[in-house]
Amino acid sequence: MLEKKSVSVTLEHVTKRFKNVKGKKDVIAVNEANLVIEPGELVTLLGPSGCGKTTTLRMIAGFELPTEGKIFIGNEEVTMMPPNKRDTATMFQSYGLFPHMTVYDNVAYGLKLRKIPADQIKEKVNETLGMVGLADYGDRAPSKLSGGQQQRVALARSLIVTPSVLLLDEPLSNLDALLREQMRIEIRKIQKDLGITAVYVTHDRVEAMSLSDRVVVMKDGFIRQIGPPSVIYEEPNSRFVAGFVGKATFFPVKILRKDAEKWICELGGKEAVVSHAGDNVEVGMEAVLMARPESLRVVEPGTGHIEGKVRMNVYLGNSLESFINTSFGEVLVQVDDPHAKKIYAEGSDVSIDFAPDRVRLLNKDET
Amino acid sequence: MFTKKRIIQFCFAALIFLSLDLWMFKTLSTNFRSYEELRNFNEIELFAQTAPEDQDLQAYEKWIPSVKSIIAGARAFYFSFDEMQGDFVPSTGSETSFRLWDKYKESTEFRKAMESVYYLEPMKLSGSYKADYSLDPDIHSQETIASQVYFVPVIDENGYQANGAIMILVPNSTATGYMSLLRTIFISAAVIFLGIMLVITFTRDPITGFMVLALFGVVVIFIAYPLLEAVRLSFMKDGVVSLQTWKETLSPTYLVALWGSLRLGVLTATISTIVGYMFAFLIERTSFRQKKVMSTLATMPVISPPFSLSLSIILLFGNNGLISKQLLHLNTSIYGLGGLTLVEVIGMFPIAFMTISGVLRQIDSTVEDASLDLNATKWHTFKSITLPLSAPGIVSAWLLVFTNSLADFANPLLLSGDYRVLSTEAYMLVTGRSNLSAGSALSFLLLMPTITAFLIQRQWVGKKSYVTVTGKPSTTLTELTNKPVRVSLEVVSWTFIGFIVALYLTIVAGCFVVNWGIDYSFTLANWGEALSRGWTAIRDTVTLAAIATPIAGLLAMLTAMLVVRKKFPGKRLLETLIMTPYAIPGTLIGISYILAFNKPPLLLVGTGAIIVINYVIRELPVGVENGITALHQIDPAIEESAADLGADVTTVFRTIVLPLIRPAFLSSMSYTFVRSMTAVSAIIFLISARWNHLTVLIFNFSENLRFGLASVLSTILIVIVLMVWALMQVLVKDDKLTQKTISTR
Ligand SMILES: Nc1ncnc2c1ncn2[C@@H]1O[C@H](COP(=O)(O)OP(=O)(O)OP(=O)(O)O)[C@@H](O)[C@H]1O
Ligand SMILES: [Mg+2]
Repeated sequence: MLEKKSVSVTLEHVTKRFKNVKGKKDVIAVNEANLVIEPGELVTLLGPSGCGKTTTLRMIAGFELPTEGKIFIGNEEVTMMPPNKRDTATMFQSYGLFPHMTVYDNVAYGLKLRKIPADQIKEKVNETLGMVGLADYGDRAPSKLSGGQQQRVALARSLIVTPSVLLLDEPLSNLDALLREQMRIEIRKIQKDLGITAVYVTHDRVEAMSLSDRVVVMKDGFIRQIGPPSVIYEEPNSRFVAGFVGKATFFPVKILRKDAEKWICELGGKEAVVSHAGDNVEVGMEAVLMARPESLRVVEPGTGHIEGKVRMNVYLGNSLESFINTSFGEVLVQVDDPHAKKIYAEGSDVSIDFAPDRVRLLNKDET
Repeated sequence: MFTKKRIIQFCFAALIFLSLDLWMFKTLSTNFRSYEELRNFNEIELFAQTAPEDQDLQAYEKWIPSVKSIIAGARAFYFSFDEMQGDFVPSTGSETSFRLWDKYKESTEFRKAMESVYYLEPMKLSGSYKADYSLDPDIHSQETIASQVYFVPVIDENGYQANGAIMILVPNSTATGYMSLLRTIFISAAVIFLGIMLVITFTRDPITGFMVLALFGVVVIFIAYPLLEAVRLSFMKDGVVSLQTWKETLSPTYLVALWGSLRLGVLTATISTIVGYMFAFLIERTSFRQKKVMSTLATMPVISPPFSLSLSIILLFGNNGLISKQLLHLNTSIYGLGGLTLVEVIGMFPIAFMTISGVLRQIDSTVEDASLDLNATKWHTFKSITLPLSAPGIVSAWLLVFTNSLADFANPLLLSGDYRVLSTEAYMLVTGRSNLSAGSALSFLLLMPTITAFLIQRQWVGKKSYVTVTGKPSTTLTELTNKPVRVSLEVVSWTFIGFIVALYLTIVAGCFVVNWGIDYSFTLANWGEALSRGWTAIRDTVTLAAIATPIAGLLAMLTAMLVVRKKFPGKRLLETLIMTPYAIPGTLIGISYILAFNKPPLLLVGTGAIIVINYVIRELPVGVENGITALHQIDPAIEESAADLGADVTTVFRTIVLPLIRPAFLSSMSYTFVRSMTAVSAIIFLISARWNHLTVLIFNFSENLRFGLASVLSTILIVIVLMVWALMQVLVKDDKLTQKTISTR
């Protein structure tokens, strides 16, 4: 039903400063953001609370004006364009449904503004309501729907005007876990089918990982890393990103030298070889060695990199989590397919090992 | 937003437009001046040709003043040619001209002119001269006006000799009328153009920009300008800056009136607060049964028309009152402080009642329960818990009633007798002695305590710290009174209400009595006469209020939306200015309106428009507050969604905001209507032969002791107001259902 060319969204040096009244300091909500979102791509903005995700989204939608920088939708600069002139549709965290209209009128609102003949509107609204599974709910008031249904009305209302860009601000945060998963899949399907460029704001890393083509990790107004979920997870450039997108253990190390594209560092008095490193890592500096639980292995004492003692094993079915006390503190090791592996009993001495290409050297700075 | 490029763009465009504007203005005004000069020359020469044939002085005396019929406002003086001296000598004509000539006759300009006339050449002096037009006794012109001076010869029959010369003064005023119009047009063109340019260049949402601009226009023209004009004129006397007016105002005569206003205010506020607290306590804090009826009856006086309570008090307790004279044969007078306080308390205790109710309702009764659990007596609990917790309500109520009493105009007008208050004193000055500037100075005097009280009240309302709002209203209320106390409260309250009802019934009775106080026989004649004499006033009042109502409602909601949802420079200023009329006594607004709008370019005095504008401006603050409160409860995402789907500001307002804040919209409209129907303090200055107001007519009838007619009109007014009020109750109740579904999610 919706045929439209996918467009890109570009942010060039976008900064948003909120003037704070009563002589307080200004808040820099977004700082020098550069981002190119390809046509048809779904990008998530991921970051802790207050990092500027919503502000970024609202600038793309036109509800906030950038203090500096430019925003493009396709090739057109839209920095100064008011929201009603932009070809974007936003799904708000609170949905923003029109409480004085029925579900049908809510969905039809955008079409009525476009002066489309009534019979066409009817056909389209019914089709869209069907698509989100609310075909029989046209006459209801939004307040008489469940959270998930309201959410789908909001989705239908945004999609029916065939926006070039769909903006979603934590649309699922008010739903229970099961519904959340369902809706996530639904949104992703529709977005892919229609080829809409989408920006999705969330602070839930699982949501970001499972949904997006690329993830933008933000902190304190800065974009920290942009990349596909696997890259963000496997190859974080900073300690913050590594920690924010998944479980990780950081071992303090000193980088000794670089041999044939491999880093040699000192870890607990022994030398360890690491294949990859993040930003701002140089020979001679103190750094951290980042290891995901599933990248670590438990081996016989004395044969690995770090010695320790198993404190507790948690059996999860398809995997097993071993909490091991070491001189660096407690380290979590995830043993996949535990039935095929040797399990060290609680209390036994063990050693932790890793392959050079499964861990990463990162600047030790927390931020 | 304010990029260098845009600023340069704007300045460039502004420069081009301004120079164009200025150039056109200059050209037009020069053209007009030379045209005017030419015309005057022609007229004057023509006038000289009509000179009497014979050199008879009497004939000339008659002829000279006729210059006015040729050029409006002109003055002429005749000089005859004296052969002996070989020069022109003053003969006859206007004193104004003669004095001017006498003053300047030795100047080269005047000498040259005389010489030129001698050689039969008419001449206009360059530059203008100030002439005192009050010198001519026959013409009532008081001013010194800059004038052009022309000299023309009166030529002998043979055509080569001057018999005499005429000096003619033409006041600039005729020209300045046109010139000031021209100036106004070009200045407003420039202002409007710059405003539009500003919006287009510097905002990304021109519709909002224009709305803000228009709102600023309205506020500046109809709120700031009249007030400033009133201030300015209170410092002027006969066209020069002077403190004379203020000296007069601060003289003992008027300080007595200020003291009178304050005394009345304090008395009224104190008693009203006590009565109001009693009602509020009975209704909110006891197990009293008829809460609904009681609270409806107790709020009624708020919407009752002005004069009606005073009228009723006069009918009952006046010099010829039913109770004072016929029943008790008393000789004490109701006119004065006592009577005034009584009427004002009845009229204003509902304000205290509603304010205190609001606070009492919010007190969490678990606090009281806790106290009672600790074995405190009920009285002790009331004294140590309930009363202190309701202190903000009490203070707030007192101040509100106080400001209302100070601004009250209608009751003192009828009931003050020898007792003097500022609001009516200002009215007397304006209507009795046409002393507008002193009237406005007096109103400013009144403004000071009003504003002070208003600001303190704001402060108290802002700090709700005492009130424990739990969000969950307790379902059960602890009975804080024992039975005897409650019953005595009930009795007192019902007596009070009964008295009020009796007052209104008295008015109804007054409609059907031949001549109250003298002849109590039944008649319907009052109705016929009142309707025939008051019909146009009724029609005008309803029409104007009906026009003002939707305008005020829409404007208030639009303003609320802009204030709550949009960012723009000068927002605080705009809000403050819009709220100003709320704190200002109506008398001051009325006086400042006649001062500001009785001259071009905004010559509005005498039109219906000024009355409508006055209604709108005065009732806007309450509407805007209603709208703001309503909007704060609505999730901005709802409006943003609409904008996001392609709705521009006006569409969002029409399809989303207005329906969502419908209750506020409706109540603002009904408020405006009721208040406009019952307005008097400002309106009494603004009515005209064409547009009369019902309340003013009621006042006129009461003043002339035509109580029957006044009663009929009051009854009609009460009925209209009650109907609108009831209709509004129904509409809003209807809305409560939809209102429930308005949740943010
Ligand atoms: N209108 C505003 N005025 C002033 N400061 C603001 C405004 N809106 C946001 N901020 C500030 O800007 C920063 C970023 O806010 P933003 O809403 O973009 O965060 P967020 O990443 O969406 O957070 P969350 O996950 O909690 O929604 C915060 O510090 C916030 O306080
Ligand atoms: Mg947010």
